[in-house]
Amino acid sequence: MTTRLETNKLVLGAYLVALLTVAGVGVWAIAIRAVEGLRVTNLTSHVPWGLWVAFYIYFIGLSAGSFLMSTLIYVFGMSRFESIGRSALFVAIVALVAGLAFIFLDLGHLERFWTVFVNRSPTSVLEWEIHFYLLYGIILLAELWLLMRRDLIRAAEGEGLRALVARLLSFGSHDLSEESAHLDRRAVKILGTIGIPVAIAVHGGTGAIFAVVKARPYWYTGLFPIIFIVSALASGGALLLCITALFSRRKGTADHAELVSQLAKIVGAFLLLDLVLLTSEMLVGLYGGVPDHVATYRVIMFGPFWYVFWFGQMGLGALVPLALIFLKRTGNSPFWLGVAGACIVVGILGVRLNIVIPPLSVPLMPGIDTAYPLGRFSTFAFTGFSLHLLQGAVAVFVVAMVVLLSQLWRIPIPSWERWVVRLATTGAIFVLVIMGLRLAGFAPTTSALFDISLATAPTTPLPLFFGGQIKAQDPTFYSPSMIEWLSSTGVIAVAILALSLGRWLLPLEEPPVHPARAVRPRFDSDRIGTERETS
Amino acid sequence: MPDQDVLTTIRNDVKRALNKPANQRHWVMVINLQRCVGCEACTIACKQENHTPPGVAYAKVIKEEVGEYPHVRRRFLPILCNHCENPPCVPVCPVGATWKRKEDGIVVVDYTICIGCRYCVTACPYGARYFDFGDNYYEPLNEFEQQASPEYGRRWLRSKRESPVGNVRKCTFCLHRLVRGEEPACVQTCMPRARIVGDLNDPESEVSRLVDERRHFRLKEELGTEPSVYYIL
Repeated sequence: MTTRLETNKLVLGAYLVALLTVAGVGVWAIAIRAVEGLRVTNLTSHVPWGLWVAFYIYFIGLSAGSFLMSTLIYVFGMSRFESIGRSALFVAIVALVAGLAFIFLDLGHLERFWTVFVNRSPTSVLEWEIHFYLLYGIILLAELWLLMRRDLIRAAEGEGLRALVARLLSFGSHDLSEESAHLDRRAVKILGTIGIPVAIAVHGGTGAIFAVVKARPYWYTGLFPIIFIVSALASGGALLLCITALFSRRKGTADHAELVSQLAKIVGAFLLLDLVLLTSEMLVGLYGGVPDHVATYRVIMFGPFWYVFWFGQMGLGALVPLALIFLKRTGNSPFWLGVAGACIVVGILGVRLNIVIPPLSVPLMPGIDTAYPLGRFSTFAFTGFSLHLLQGAVAVFVVAMVVLLSQLWRIPIPSWERWVVRLATTGAIFVLVIMGLRLAGFAPTTSALFDISLATAPTTPLPLFFGGQIKAQDPTFYSPSMIEWLSSTGVIAVAILALSLGRWLLPLEEPPVHPARAVRPRFDSDRIGTERETS
Repeated sequence: MPDQDVLTTIRNDVKRALNKPANQRHWVMVINLQRCVGCEACTIACKQENHTPPGVAYAKVIKEEVGEYPHVRRRFLPILCNHCENPPCVPVCPVGATWKRKEDGIVVVDYTICIGCRYCVTACPYGARYFDFGDNYYEPLNEFEQQASPEYGRRWLRSKRESPVGNVRKCTFCLHRLVRGEEPACVQTCMPRARIVGDLNDPESEVSRLVDERRHFRLKEELGTEPSVYYIL
């Protein structure tokens, strides 16, 4: 037992070090962005929205999808998913805050963000959305609190950090009676019912931000907001699937396997529906042959970032998870279903990137992109001490991640699957080390490795993170700058930290609120590397 | 006077329009494509007048080569903000920082309100809006860049975090010049006199005469934006 405990301490330590490093560098990058303004981005007037907006719609989608999954339980009474309900709401809250952080980062004048509530503009979808986000956030908080209330009161009795947090969060509520629980359930159902149209407005509306823009034929379709909602359901469900399958405290029970497999089927169904809608959009768009519309698809599929579509959106985001979910061999294994969930969560990011960037990079009129040199790159560069600090942080992060990933090497699953995981792990470590080298300033080395031309590179070291050719004079080409990447990964790391902290401190996975139902037996012996074991 | 320089006619038209009640003006620009030689003097004049930074050019010229040897020619299409009757960029603004002026139809941006979300940049079908990222031609600024932009009758000095840096910027038909009775900088500088500005609500004006008499088109009319820039073929 001692070796396992030590391993877990190592894993937890590496996990925290990796996340805190990324979060720290992220805060630093955000500070630089706040001081320097948007000149540290690689955005242009031609492609005015980039990585941050993609992450914004990505996280709002995760949030709305996750919340809508929770309504399956609390509104539509699918009580077999009850044990993931609170996680769903908590994920929704964290993702919402992360999404709002990204749209905040994207503003040219950060200090004026609050004026959205003063300077009214009822014709703007964006303004409506800001209000929906607030309303939605309030509903989420209220619902989660009501669901946790009795467990918080119970947890407040104890000692330690968990109890302290519980005491603070119970807001002086002491009522443990059955009537109060009944009232809670009713309130949750009402809130959830109100929440459904609000959540649809939240993410459908986020889609409408794009869909109302008649200047861009790719966005300007009635199906666009609907695709947002469906892909939100797929991605939110997938995140829940991943968390439930891989990190649940009930892992190893038959109940858990059953739950995960049912959840996976729902996620798979949403993913299929998403693909159907996407195909419809694509066929209609290509058949119409409107030049801008077709050009957008050409950029998505064969442009400089073709792999985001083929490997990210189609491979990782659709085919791999669908295979994992619907193949007999893997469809009943919580581990593989969790991997499928993780694949979708990463792959949908490709969907979001392709929603925002390619339609903008297509010139609005033939020749408008070359009429005046709009191309620009961030001239910001880490130099001297700050460069060494960054290189140190990258080194720490890479070491921590290699420690973490090497744990995957030893994961206890049978036969050939083990080798698939080992291969993937080795690949991930390789990519990580290469990217670490690039970030730390060894671009020529790595680019020589992959035969990437840096001939036209501006003075900045590494404006490109994922390779590709630098085209400084082409305004239609946008690749996020280093500050954009670092601040984004920072926000993501903070969000993951918040999720871990929440799962550690809050009663998110307590027995079902129905007192009549028997508490399921728990088998704790089979868990691998959850933070609970070390505490 | 048949031989009067069209610039004099334009000045007279502008002065006449300014003497009308404020809400009856409709500034439009007519661009005679047969006269345009693609010299880009308008681009330069605009940048000089408005002191715009790199990546911001309210007036620019699309240059195309058409045909195959030996029948090749270059085609020029000067573009700028169309000051649409139904501007798609205006309703999307979440803080109402941009609007179409009721009195004369010019689409303006209030730099002190704009939060820099760039929604309007994506919504404009003509690519006529630009974001001021805070780039400069020279670091430290040269003498020209240290001068303030006269837009909207105010003096906007560029500094790291002060407006108009971090705001969306666009052509204003040189509003600050129009109110003084002068034509926009691009019109003044246009060597072949391809650009003509005036009040479309005034039937006597040169622009009204050209729009009535000559074959013309406007950009992307199918979007229902009703642009105020007319191109004469």
